[in-house]
Amino acid sequence: MKTLKLSLASILILLFVLMLNISLGSVSIPLKDIVQAIFTGESSTSTWTYIVLDYRLTKAMTAIIVGSGLGVSGLLMQTFFRNPLAGPYVLGLSSGAGLGVALLLMGSGLLGLSISNSLWFSKTAVILASSLGSLMVMIAVLLTSVKIKDSMALLIIGLMFASLTGAVVNLLSYFSASDELQQFVFWSLGSLGDLSWSEVSILGVFWFLGLTLCLFLIKPLDALLIGESYAKSLGVNIKVLQYTTIIATCLLTGSITAFAGPIAFIGLAIPHLMRLILKTNKHIIMLPAVCLSGAVVMLICDSISQLPGFDYTIPINAVTSLLGAPIVIWLILRSRQLNF
Amino acid sequence: MLRTLSILGFVILIWSCVNQPKSETPKPIKQSKPNAFKIDYAKGFKVQVFEGFKLLTITEAWPNADKTFTYLLQTSDSINLPKTDYDYKIKTPIKSIVVTSTTHIPALEALGVLDNLVGFPNTDYISSDKARNLINQGQIKNVGQDQNLNTELLLLLQPDVVVSFAVKGQNKSVESIKKANIPVLYNADWVEAHPLGKAEWIKFFGLLFDKNDKAQQIFNTIKTEYEKAKTLGSKSQTKPTVISGALWKDQWYLPGGDSWQAQLIADANAEYLYADTESRGSLSLSFESVLNDSQNAEYWIAPAQYTSYQQMVDQQKHYEKFKAFKDKNIYTFAKTKGQTGGVLYYELAPQRPDWVLKDLIQIFHPQLLTNYEPKFFKPLDQ
Repeated sequence: MKTLKLSLASILILLFVLMLNISLGSVSIPLKDIVQAIFTGESSTSTWTYIVLDYRLTKAMTAIIVGSGLGVSGLLMQTFFRNPLAGPYVLGLSSGAGLGVALLLMGSGLLGLSISNSLWFSKTAVILASSLGSLMVMIAVLLTSVKIKDSMALLIIGLMFASLTGAVVNLLSYFSASDELQQFVFWSLGSLGDLSWSEVSILGVFWFLGLTLCLFLIKPLDALLIGESYAKSLGVNIKVLQYTTIIATCLLTGSITAFAGPIAFIGLAIPHLMRLILKTNKHIIMLPAVCLSGAVVMLICDSISQLPGFDYTIPINAVTSLLGAPIVIWLILRSRQLNF
Repeated sequence: MLRTLSILGFVILIWSCVNQPKSETPKPIKQSKPNAFKIDYAKGFKVQVFEGFKLLTITEAWPNADKTFTYLLQTSDSINLPKTDYDYKIKTPIKSIVVTSTTHIPALEALGVLDNLVGFPNTDYISSDKARNLINQGQIKNVGQDQNLNTELLLLLQPDVVVSFAVKGQNKSVESIKKANIPVLYNADWVEAHPLGKAEWIKFFGLLFDKNDKAQQIFNTIKTEYEKAKTLGSKSQTKPTVISGALWKDQWYLPGGDSWQAQLIADANAEYLYADTESRGSLSLSFESVLNDSQNAEYWIAPAQYTSYQQMVDQQKHYEKFKAFKDKNIYTFAKTKGQTGGVLYYELAPQRPDWVLKDLIQIFHPQLLTNYEPKFFKPLDQ
């Protein structure tokens, strides 16, 4: 009964925050017109309808997918590595994506492509480059995980991938022109607002697949929390668990990074936040909780980054970290321990 | 003991050599001739003319620069000023030069001194036919990538001066060239807010090559043409609304209200919708505010790198909502490229604002300029 109430309450909070997110933006649109636009597809001016339906709503959907997807990835990684510092990017996915995009945006100039063919900068190309980069890292991680038994070694290898790709990105940025570098920096700051409905639905498919895989992981991950040998004694196939976790994380994180850039902090912080609030580690509770709260936090962060009333916006990554870090620190200090 | 003493003695000997007081006293500076060097629009440099030498001062090497750079230009070595009065002493006319921005190329070409250009970073960006010939003949060497000049190549070339630009005074590769005693002069044409101010920087090169009169004459022609075009544009009764720029991610980048682009649009008798913003550089605005403010703008110029309507809509469906897009009133300079893919506008427009202005007048008021072939701005492909 308590769970039901809690779930209902959190869904209501999500709906409220979603509504808030859609009503706030650079252009002030009356609430009446927003409601009208959403439910009837028409409002006082066609510009407002367009802003609400084709810009703010897609942005809000992206925020929900990004927040929940990264939160769940972070939860998976923290349990899997039994390490509170783990997050969606420990496998080196964002570094792989970053390398792909850097090669596209900055490397094409070195190969003599950029100044003659600016089409390389198209959005689809960036998404493809990022996905290819993530995919490359995922394959490498999977291959190494066949070889090694210790999951901690995977963590180290993920870090090594990050350093390796980071070095190549540094080299590329050193040699690239300032505008190319700027485009890359902007990509790395993340953005939620430049996807069309068709792109959001592609992202949604990956998100759905990733989350569905997670449903099969709830019990084995609970067992793993107590220890690997305990999990084995319960009949958990560690190898299968390993592959499924890696694939689920890659599906979620890889697709999100491809479409929205590397969004910082959410994946690391949301699981901690939920553990501190709910005081539990059970994945049957944590998974939906992280999903919902990730979406809520992301929507709030996006509303702030839009700086309602101003013509300017600030990058989403700045908001997530600036706002999120102090909150987590405060929560940890208050409960005096990390509930892990 | 003896060894220590001898070392001490040696050190004192060297010390006394280094610290020898200078015997020559600097000659007092004679009065600068008032109005000897006229500058009409440029705000980033000034010139003082003295008997036998000139002082060229770069007052704004980068936006809101907190220090100035002074170059002593003289035809003979006879002048001795205290070293604190200048950053570099340069004997004019200089024989060889390395420049680092394509915007410097047209000035050199107009002055007829392109033969003295010995190096350029990333020569592929250069579009000028004359310069391309010299590159193909191997006279203009590639000396690195953009701001990262290759120090060894430069040392090998030993140019009389390197003309560079500094963004906020930070330019690492410049430091190592300075150490090799090659003067690095700052050219800040890019900081100028008025289009004619940019063009006036031809006088900077005129000074280095002792071609002041020619530089003055070239600038005056450009100025006259510009003013004539402006008067022509003002004859139109209509004043169309204009937007510029495009989205990258969810940010719209467009020139600020105090930029030279905004000035050009105003001089072409059109209303730039962001003319009120206070920025010399570019603005980044949220998509929804741009859509709200500029959806009905009649013209759209310079939509980033796009060259066709199809490209724009492939990248971002939002563009379809704009009137200028629906009416096919978008014009770009990205289609006009040199042999090796460099965009001509970036190279030539700062030097020929009169051409840019005429291009714009033909777009906004086609009835005023009927027999005119645009130099930079072309309509987008379908």
